[in-house]
Amino acid sequence: MNEFTSILPELIKNIITGMPHFLPEIVLIITFIVVILVDLFYPGKKSVHTYVLVLTGIVVSAFFTIIQYQSSINGISVFNDSLKIDRIGIIFKLLFSAVVILYAIFIKGNIRMQNHNKGIGDLYMLLPAALLGLNLMAMASSLLMVYISIEMVSLASYLMVGYVSDGEKQSEAAMKYALFGGVCSAIMLYGMSLLYAFTGTLSLSDPQFMIRLAEMPQSVAAIAIILVLVGIGFKLAFVPLHFWSPDVYEGAPIPVTAFLSTGPKMAGFAVLIRFMEPFHIASNTSQGTPVFDFVAILSVIAIGSMIVGNFAAIWQNNMKRMLAYSSIGHTGLILMAIIVNSNDGIKAMLFYLMMYSIANMAAFMIAGKIEEQTGIINISSYKGLGKVFPLEMVCFVIILMSLTGLPPLAGFMGKVLIFSAAIESYSATNSIWMLSLLIVAALTTVVSLFYYFKIPLNAFLRQSDEIFIVKVKRDTLSYISLILTLLLILWGIMPGLLI
Amino acid sequence: MSLLSILIFLPLFAGLIIVVLPSSVREGYKYIALAAVIVQVLISAYIYLHFNGEVFTGIADQNKYQLVERLPWISLNLGAMGKLQIDYFLGLDGLSMPFMLLTSVVMLVALLASWEIKINLKGYFALFLLLDTAILGVFSALDFFLFYIFYELMLMPLYFLIGIWGGVRREYAAIKFFLYTLFGSVFMLLVIIGLYFSVTDPATGYHTFNMLSMMDAKNYVEGSIFSALAHNELFGVSARLLGFIVLFIAFAIKVPIVPLHTWLPDAHVEAPTPVSIILAGILLKVGGYGILRVCVSIFPEAAIQSAWWLGLIGIVSIIYGALNALAQTDLKRLVAYSSISHMGFVLLGIASITPEGISGAMMQMISHGFLSSMLFFLVGIIYTRVHDREIPHFRGLALIMPKFSAFIMIAFFASLGLPGFSAFIAEAFSLIGAFNSESINGLLPRWMAVCGTLGILLSACYFLWTLQRMFFGETRLFGGEKWKIQLTDVNAREVTALCILTAFALVLGIMPSLAFDKMNASVLELIRLVNLK
Repeated sequence: MNEFTSILPELIKNIITGMPHFLPEIVLIITFIVVILVDLFYPGKKSVHTYVLVLTGIVVSAFFTIIQYQSSINGISVFNDSLKIDRIGIIFKLLFSAVVILYAIFIKGNIRMQNHNKGIGDLYMLLPAALLGLNLMAMASSLLMVYISIEMVSLASYLMVGYVSDGEKQSEAAMKYALFGGVCSAIMLYGMSLLYAFTGTLSLSDPQFMIRLAEMPQSVAAIAIILVLVGIGFKLAFVPLHFWSPDVYEGAPIPVTAFLSTGPKMAGFAVLIRFMEPFHIASNTSQGTPVFDFVAILSVIAIGSMIVGNFAAIWQNNMKRMLAYSSIGHTGLILMAIIVNSNDGIKAMLFYLMMYSIANMAAFMIAGKIEEQTGIINISSYKGLGKVFPLEMVCFVIILMSLTGLPPLAGFMGKVLIFSAAIESYSATNSIWMLSLLIVAALTTVVSLFYYFKIPLNAFLRQSDEIFIVKVKRDTLSYISLILTLLLILWGIMPGLLI
Repeated sequence: MSLLSILIFLPLFAGLIIVVLPSSVREGYKYIALAAVIVQVLISAYIYLHFNGEVFTGIADQNKYQLVERLPWISLNLGAMGKLQIDYFLGLDGLSMPFMLLTSVVMLVALLASWEIKINLKGYFALFLLLDTAILGVFSALDFFLFYIFYELMLMPLYFLIGIWGGVRREYAAIKFFLYTLFGSVFMLLVIIGLYFSVTDPATGYHTFNMLSMMDAKNYVEGSIFSALAHNELFGVSARLLGFIVLFIAFAIKVPIVPLHTWLPDAHVEAPTPVSIILAGILLKVGGYGILRVCVSIFPEAAIQSAWWLGLIGIVSIIYGALNALAQTDLKRLVAYSSISHMGFVLLGIASITPEGISGAMMQMISHGFLSSMLFFLVGIIYTRVHDREIPHFRGLALIMPKFSAFIMIAFFASLGLPGFSAFIAEAFSLIGAFNSESINGLLPRWMAVCGTLGILLSACYFLWTLQRMFFGETRLFGGEKWKIQLTDVNAREVTALCILTAFALVLGIMPSLAFDKMNASVLELIRLVNLK
């Protein structure tokens, strides 16, 4: 114990100087604790106080994050290099806050969750905790922090998936998710321990990390890195680690599915970028052979994800399963932007992620509303719904067009940016991987039209056999999804407002 | 805001008005749409009258375009890639101006045909007007990105117009049409982005989507993918040739060419009458226009290199379409196949790269725009009355519908190329171009022109045979007396629409200079540009 006493003051000083940069997260922690107490003693009708508190906490935290943005052009490392605060991380954090706010509103509007006999307060309580985990994922720059933050998000997600387990399917989904998640994070931890053993450091920004890793035999280093990728891949749900996602998406309550397909997925990309950063810096400075060929392996994964995701989606009839497979396809496309490995690629990826999360949130909101009011969960039963839900279905069609990537919507701009980054990279490197990625991406876009347009096909082109007598009310969720749809149009026509 | 922007966004504006109006004034929607389209016709007529074809030759020089409007639209700073600069860039030259007028007139006719639409009026007219905006945008955009946006924007309204208001197999037809076109255009997007990185704007030094800059070899970045000097290869094919082929396929699907035509009979037959009119009258021309404006102008040397194949595809389409038309028993399908055959002349004319050939191709597109609209309108008249259009189910219609029969005779004779109508001039010029090509630039062999002539003969066969089967002889109808009552002669609204179309076909046939004068200089400029290479 004595050997630490000499460095103890410095460690403490380090922590204290880091604190101001940690303000948004501190707000979340405080919110989390306050929410527990309030929900325990003073929940209000249907946990309404909790709801308001959670929203306020997240908004305040996002506000501090915005302030951070001004002062972090070069990026700051805090807490002994375990967190790195830079602009990309901050943009990610803002995206997460937006997604979690939408998620909270979604939960509030979902009658099935509201009427659950366990009450809804505990679920609200999880939100600041999950957001904290997501934020840490976006900032993590040491292996340990990567692991802790991923686990934090995972634990919150396991609880959410199982929260309203009123049927076998839900329980199965929750169990599957927890089991696969546990195995994957164990594998990742094993990979990390190997990396630590090879390099003697946990910090990704430590120069020793790359130098020592390069001294190891290539195959040994590759095994360790692939093991870490398994853990990240579970969050991203790319092929071949995608198998859990359709079942979990189908079984989980619909707001949770909406969250899983956006929040943790985006955070997975953030972690992937952080993890790849030292490798890129090393390959840019040194002349020798790269330690690990990320381009080849990620290209194979991306191509696999695009093909499997988009083709499997064609045969899905369950709305949530279809969106699950399609989101696997989107993962492949976004990976393309990461493979490009340039500022343009990152920018394209951020734009695409934003469009994707808005569109996915809105799509699930509308699907959730339809499920709630008519009990319809299969696409083939959407027949004639265009007349029953005119506003919602028109929004839905626009959202799906954006996901397909048709102009003049935000999804199209996102696709253009990713394609531009890839073509630029191709003309610089003439890499055959880039070319095949581009061709597969173009082909799968056409495929995606086929399954996305099954929804307008049923809703507008076909007539229903039965007459719906449900009285359809427009509620908050309808208007929120309308606003999100308008955002997709606005950013499609004026993408300059964002970047 | 210039006249051109007003012209393009007027229909969209009218569409938005229709969307926000309550459904209690349902009956008023079509009048709002009609007012918008009439104003549109007036504006485009004004543009036509004030268009100076001699001075404004267009093609590769911005100063030679009329009604130019250029505003910075999307400007994204992309770090290492420079700036993503997309302009809102519109303008008209001799290649695009005729299509603005054509679009407006055909839209008017299609709207008059829309009186038959009875269900879901709000959606119908809103989509109709959105489609109108997209088409006008395609014909006037000079920024490739803007062009692409309008080009894709046409798909969604058409999908719903066919899918909701169409015939029995409408779902299949709508998605088939959508998938075909999207397949072509996604790859077109890749080529557009590739071109963007190969070309810089001489004024600013940034990369640009400006089509006019793409037409000038000087603007290409050294060593870029599509630079003519770099001789890049993809899959063992020259990158520029590959770019040409990809763009050509995207547009050829629209034209359509054999063997990429199979969406057309389905879409045309299943679509409601007004949409068939728009499809045949305007949408097919987007393909031909795209080939001229984009493929030939940006990749001239690749166009010359593949001229023989283009010509061959044209011939195959002419003959194959005509033979198929002969075999049809459904009147609408017959007209659809005749469209394929007639659009083959466009390709043949373009492939010849002679002034006669390209002028003929332009003329054929305009003439076919009016005549095919007329044919589909006429088929629609029968169909709305008895919900049948099988040729063997009708006989001796001339006795009960004399006025209708007169119009159909005009349409048939004009379409098969009777002198005095626009189609004759158009087909004659295309064939002259193809025939002269061997002696002028040696691109097309003479036998292609000969085969093209065979197509005219075949079109006479199927039109005259149909005329004889359906209209001559004693009146015998499949539906008996009931049909006889239902088959009333054309009413005033229909006569108006048909007269407009007949007038255009006739005037252009007698005084083709009305069109040629406006576009001749542009055509010559295009050929000069191609021969520079």
